[in-house]
Amino acid sequence: MRKRTRGTAALALLAGATLWQAPARAADWLETAAAPLKGTAVTTTFLDRPGYRAIIKLLPEFEKKTGIKVNYEIVPYENAREKQVLNFTSRGDLTVALVDLVWIGEFAENGWIEPIDGLKGDAKVTDPNLNLQGFFPLLLDAFGTWGGKVYGLPFDNYSGLLFYNACMLKDAGFDKPPATWGALLKDYAPKLTKADKNQYAFALQSRRGETQSADSFMRVLWPFGGSLLDKNFKSNLNSPESQAGLQFRQDLMKYMPPGVVSFDHNEAVNALAQGQVAMITEWSAFYGTLTDPKTSKLGECLAVAPEPEGPAGRLPALGGFSLAVASQATDAEKKAAWLFIQWATSEAIARPYVEAGGVSGRSAIYQQPDIKASYKFVEPMVASWQKGVPQYRPRFPAWPAISEVVAEWGSKMMLGETTPAAGAKEIGSRMEGILGKEGYYSGKKALLQ
Amino acid sequence: MTPNPAETGAAPAAPAAADPPAATRPAPGRLDPGYGRLTPLWFLLPAVGTLLVIGIYPTLFALVTSFRRYNLARPRDGFPFVGFENYLGVLGDRSYWDSLLLTARFFLTVMPVELVLGIAIALMLHQPGLSFLRALARVSLVVPLATTFAVVGLIGRLIFNRDFGVANQLLGFVGLGGFDWLGSSAGAFAAIAVMDVWQWTPFCALIFLAGLSMVPVEIEEAARLETPSRLALLRHVQLPYLLPGLTAVLILRSADILKLFDMVFVMTRGGPGAATDLISIYIQRIGFRVFDMGTASAQAILLLVVTIILSRLYIRLLYKEIDS
Repeated sequence: MRKRTRGTAALALLAGATLWQAPARAADWLETAAAPLKGTAVTTTFLDRPGYRAIIKLLPEFEKKTGIKVNYEIVPYENAREKQVLNFTSRGDLTVALVDLVWIGEFAENGWIEPIDGLKGDAKVTDPNLNLQGFFPLLLDAFGTWGGKVYGLPFDNYSGLLFYNACMLKDAGFDKPPATWGALLKDYAPKLTKADKNQYAFALQSRRGETQSADSFMRVLWPFGGSLLDKNFKSNLNSPESQAGLQFRQDLMKYMPPGVVSFDHNEAVNALAQGQVAMITEWSAFYGTLTDPKTSKLGECLAVAPEPEGPAGRLPALGGFSLAVASQATDAEKKAAWLFIQWATSEAIARPYVEAGGVSGRSAIYQQPDIKASYKFVEPMVASWQKGVPQYRPRFPAWPAISEVVAEWGSKMMLGETTPAAGAKEIGSRMEGILGKEGYYSGKKALLQ
Repeated sequence: MTPNPAETGAAPAAPAAADPPAATRPAPGRLDPGYGRLTPLWFLLPAVGTLLVIGIYPTLFALVTSFRRYNLARPRDGFPFVGFENYLGVLGDRSYWDSLLLTARFFLTVMPVELVLGIAIALMLHQPGLSFLRALARVSLVVPLATTFAVVGLIGRLIFNRDFGVANQLLGFVGLGGFDWLGSSAGAFAAIAVMDVWQWTPFCALIFLAGLSMVPVEIEEAARLETPSRLALLRHVQLPYLLPGLTAVLILRSADILKLFDMVFVMTRGGPGAATDLISIYIQRIGFRVFDMGTASAQAILLLVVTIILSRLYIRLLYKEIDS
């Protein structure tokens, strides 16, 4: 017994020492690898979101260790792709690309970003603990991979979650959130909506733009078994499953605040935070806003769950960004950029990153009991990332053009200016026009999404 | 003895030092302007050069681009010349025409309001007396003009917010319930129209005020003695002086509305649906979301043609009236 205790203690010590040394070794490795690159600068694009503010807090540590200067420009999401595309086409100064999951096809096919195979092959600048298997497979696949090659490492990671006001639900007689979209509509929504008191069951952010196409329109397709495209890249929007999803959204409209068609993320989050609505489905990144007493009245009433299931299962919204090395960089800059990307997405930095407000793509950090206890969104988010659709929004280069069409006609459907069937037909014909021009039907391009 | 020039028929020889070189000598019958013939050129050159670089070159570039397949996000496809393909595509694009018609509707909605309010404000400020308040009002008129378009959009989003916006609060005073401005097609269109009127009425007022100040005082006073009717005074005495300003306002506002982007983008992004999808929003989307610069350039060139035609129409119709 005593022997066993001693043995256990020795093992624990060994494990502790290993854990303690892992970051230290990584730090040593980083300093050694960066020594020849001292004075090199990397330039990237950041957004004004929690994940970027978190890494900015940690940057001095990286710069001190490596002597590599990280320059960044903070831009609104709406301008991030435009800025980067213009930079790449004019052979600008970006050395690290910020790649939204729907830009990966465009950036990779144009050769603007480097596959990591070549970079990984250089042992001198590759983290011995890189461990690509440590990322959630869904994230690495969706955010960083195109055509079977890995280009970027998941950096700013989101999953759609159901944020709800547990107190409002309790007052309406519910002690848990809806497990399915059907229950949300039939059981929860009528009891939680009191239009005369300006109180509604649900708000779905649907402002024209990517919010309409990604957060609103696509959100109701997948759980109902629908999709944008069939396997031949023809429109699948008029299939019974897609129509069921779109009709569901129309039916839910009467339990949403008037004007929800003009709601962006901030309005939806604010509606929950101020008690106007009982439930929203939003990105995990908004957890901080909803827990901050300065921006939210929810306090202990805030609760988080995975998005409800549909007839096809739980297929929640998936979004996020990877960091990739820009092909236009010089060799030294590429190496420095690769070091920065590995550091920013590493297991070693996952804890400080999460504690500073970021959402790491590394699975190990979310197994830590204190992290699970401190952040209510962790468990539902990890559950959401177990299964999902990487092509939740198609990631091919034609998406921005299609997104515009979906945004226009999706809003028109919600406003009742067209029916789900007629609107879907219009989107379908325009979308097929775009895809035809791209060469998907002539065999010029592989059917990758 | 020197021969008399009158007798010999030869011109008298002037002293060599006083004879100006032929290049700078003023033409017979003209006064010497005091500077060389090339001097005005040097003064004009910076302005012309700047105009060439920032105005003419981009326009020519857009013209050339409009005949190419030019997608910035598809550099591997190259940028080949495609003749009128982009123009044919634009002319057959229903969304383009819808946006253009919507822009025309927007122009016809806001312009009369801005003109009537502008003239009314200018006439009020033209009244004698209360000079301090008039000076204060004139300065206040500049505030909306000096406000950045995007900021006007942000202010608009707050004013027309359904739950805590000022617009609904004001409606509440007269017993009207909370109107969903930005979430309904008609409401969003009305909201951007109101913000445009707020920002640009002062511009019209200032232009008309400048026109009114051109009316000779003695004529205006004589007319006041002739008729007590303010309308007659405006129609027969003041209006002719307002017409050049009106022409300028129409030309500038037509061009402005055709390229009105920031305020609408911030307020509605062209939505909901296509309720506020003005032509500039549409072109920006084609240019900077889809990066189809060929099509966007063709759209912009067509828009330029529309602007030129409108400007010529204004000048022909309104300037004639001044002459008569």
